[in-house]
Amino acid sequence: MRSTDAITLTRFRASFADPHLLLEAVKRLKQEGYPIIDTYSPFPVHGMDEAIGLKPSRLPRACLAFGLLGLATALGVQIWTSAYDYPLIVGGKPLVSLPAFIPVSFELTVLFAGLGVVASLFVASGMRPKFKVPDLHPGVNDDRFVVAGEIQAGASFTVVQSLMASLGALETELLVEDKSQTDHSLLDREAKPLAFLLAAIPAVLVLAALPLLNRNYLKRNLAWDGGMMAPVAYQSFDPHPSLPGGQVLQTPPAGTVSRKGLVPLPYGPGKVEAERAGLELKNPFQPSQENFSRGKLVYDRSCAACHGLDGDNNSSVIVARGLLAPAILVAPVVRDMPDGRLFHVATFGGPQKMKGLGDLISRDDRWKVVLYIRELQRAAAPKPLPAPPPSTGATS
Amino acid sequence: MAPEDHTSALPATLLIEDEQERGYGHVLPLIDGNKTYSQVTEEVFSTTERMPPLKWWLALSVSLSLLLLGAWAVTQTVTRGIGTWGLNRTVGWAFDITNFVFWVGIGHAGTLISAILFLFRQRWRTSINRAAEAMTIFAVMCAGTFPIIHMGRPWLAFWATPYPNTRGPLWVNFKSPLLWDVFAISTYFIISLTFWYLGMVPDLATMRDRAKTKVRKAIFSIFSLGWNGSNRTWSRYETVYMLLAGLSTPLVISVHTIVSMDFATSVIPGWHATIFPPYFVAGAVFSGFAMVLTLMIIARKVMDLEEYITVRHLEAMTKVIIATGMIVGMAYGTEFFMAWYSGNNFERYVFINRALGPFKWAYWSMVSCNVIIPQLFWIRKVRTTPWMIFILSIFVNIGMWFERFVIIVTSLHRDYLPSSWAMYTPTFVEVAIFLGSFGLFFTCFLIFTRLLPMIAASEVKGVLKHEEH
Repeated sequence: MRSTDAITLTRFRASFADPHLLLEAVKRLKQEGYPIIDTYSPFPVHGMDEAIGLKPSRLPRACLAFGLLGLATALGVQIWTSAYDYPLIVGGKPLVSLPAFIPVSFELTVLFAGLGVVASLFVASGMRPKFKVPDLHPGVNDDRFVVAGEIQAGASFTVVQSLMASLGALETELLVEDKSQTDHSLLDREAKPLAFLLAAIPAVLVLAALPLLNRNYLKRNLAWDGGMMAPVAYQSFDPHPSLPGGQVLQTPPAGTVSRKGLVPLPYGPGKVEAERAGLELKNPFQPSQENFSRGKLVYDRSCAACHGLDGDNNSSVIVARGLLAPAILVAPVVRDMPDGRLFHVATFGGPQKMKGLGDLISRDDRWKVVLYIRELQRAAAPKPLPAPPPSTGATS
Repeated sequence: MAPEDHTSALPATLLIEDEQERGYGHVLPLIDGNKTYSQVTEEVFSTTERMPPLKWWLALSVSLSLLLLGAWAVTQTVTRGIGTWGLNRTVGWAFDITNFVFWVGIGHAGTLISAILFLFRQRWRTSINRAAEAMTIFAVMCAGTFPIIHMGRPWLAFWATPYPNTRGPLWVNFKSPLLWDVFAISTYFIISLTFWYLGMVPDLATMRDRAKTKVRKAIFSIFSLGWNGSNRTWSRYETVYMLLAGLSTPLVISVHTIVSMDFATSVIPGWHATIFPPYFVAGAVFSGFAMVLTLMIIARKVMDLEEYITVRHLEAMTKVIIATGMIVGMAYGTEFFMAWYSGNNFERYVFINRALGPFKWAYWSMVSCNVIIPQLFWIRKVRTTPWMIFILSIFVNIGMWFERFVIIVTSLHRDYLPSSWAMYTPTFVEVAIFLGSFGLFFTCFLIFTRLLPMIAASEVKGVLKHEEH
């Protein structure tokens, strides 16, 4: 191949040990009229662009365009989100306050311009992962400076060879067209690593599917223990570290006067508890004019709507509406209940329909209501008196 | 050496001619040892192709241990809450944000060397730019972890990005400096990574061409993007590299400017100052160069790269240190002047408290490490003796950490309301996270030095025979 003068083989390649020799050789080849395909070097040789007639790159324009795109994106996002989609006034500033938008606009301009121009470079120069690199001289990334040119029809390779040798070339060779090098299709490329990766895909999929298939939906999912589930900071109603026996709050000193309503009531809802309350509790209030009037006030406000003003359901609003029939307070069953039982019903609700009102009426008021109910029962119970005059019955 | 006969016939000019012409008496060579191109290839790439020596493994085990300690501390923080830290109602930012600003600042030297010195055609950058850029990336990674952990619920960190969400039309606040930080730091990281990778593509091609095993060849075939040294590609590549350098230069300034606005746009006395952006940028360059020196002096010794990272490089960096150190010193003085001249009692008190209050030890450590000790660099003997530079660079690192601590903690611990005054002491968890960030940084750096070419071989070859431009 070295000795041939074949005209069919038209590309040649000469390598040098020094960038200056390469530059001289390129200039000389140009003079002699040989078309230069390209030069290859371990670092950029200055003056080579002019020597092989390369025009300045247009990549700066791409950079500008991407930068403007970034700027427009940044301004668009900031103005739309801050002034239209989620208009929130911060610090009394206008919704569209451009000075505050400068930093993010600048950063996105730089980000878009930088990434955009690098992507443009990759596209323009065809830079992408390649397992067979085209036109690669084995020493070009080490210490060889290479020129590739064409021999025009009729010219002789030996002439080029001797010309290059006279300019200091280490070697000059003819390039045979290599189909495998020019065919870059992904699927046609000899790519064992890629084949290996493709072969690994099913295994990865199976491995990924196993946990899903074996999953027990009855058990709790794996929890990420990141939610500060064991914080060191003090939590409300944690035992206080400086109190003995895991106490949360200090015991008040003897003789402390409690705040109204905060004394614990050691009873729960339910019939058993209601009977216990009936046995154990006594009404702390004595019948007096003051307690009756307070009891009446609370009764009229909170109880009368259902039980009626006289505790006999006659003026009950809900009975009049045909909804429910509450227990008749003046009936003998209720009259025979102890005070504590009535208090328990007022607090936790009755056995059937009534809702507990313990969180609405204070404890003292509930006891006073019990007093008032007893008064109502006394008023209703003695029936030995003759029937009231018909006039009163007609007017009420 | 037989194939290199041709090159040895050519005289290799190892001194910078223009500097000689300008009459500098004291010119040190850019690259020592009269190297040929293939010698550079061999020396730069052979370290990535053999097993590391014992000293490397020892260093890796130390830094991995620190990293594990940090991982333990972060786990404590995440599972047990910020209560594991020494923060309180008054001092709400302390170790975490100090470390964040410290690491971001470290990163700045890398970009400065790779971008600004490139634009100024300072060719001495070629030996150190790759490692300095790597340092930037690892430092920004360390920096980024702190605000994320500081959030308390780091798995919700993505809430800081504007994305359409299910919480109604609810967007991030674009008028907040903390959000500007999110954009600045992430842009800085992405662009630095791109810049670093792009600069490495020709060297990755060399690694691909030298690869002995198929797996290695395949990996570097992917990352070297089919590089074949074509002049057409080089031409575009140089254009893009220049554009990226041009973009990175204002970017690096914007990053620390925005970091400083986290403080400057508040109303805390001691933070509320317009001098902060330039003051922080100068401090960042100052601390970054100190860290580059610390790393490079170790690396050139451990990796036998003294002929590439020469005393000339070290001396140039010490000059940057002395210049930025004096800017920082002037800023310290200016802060006091402004406090006095403002006539604002709170502002005055904060600065008197800084110098004479309970944290005065931190303040005076900062002043002596950052302003007084670097003055030794005026002596040429100090500038050209690596072990002396090393010691001074450590001082600057310490001093710059204290600067951020002083700014953050002393300003917060005593502000307007004396009833809210408090003290701050770090807990073991906080110190462990800080040590862990050093572990992360050095683990990444050590792995980088053995996995990738630490010296930008293609750029060094370009300045080897330094002739007319």
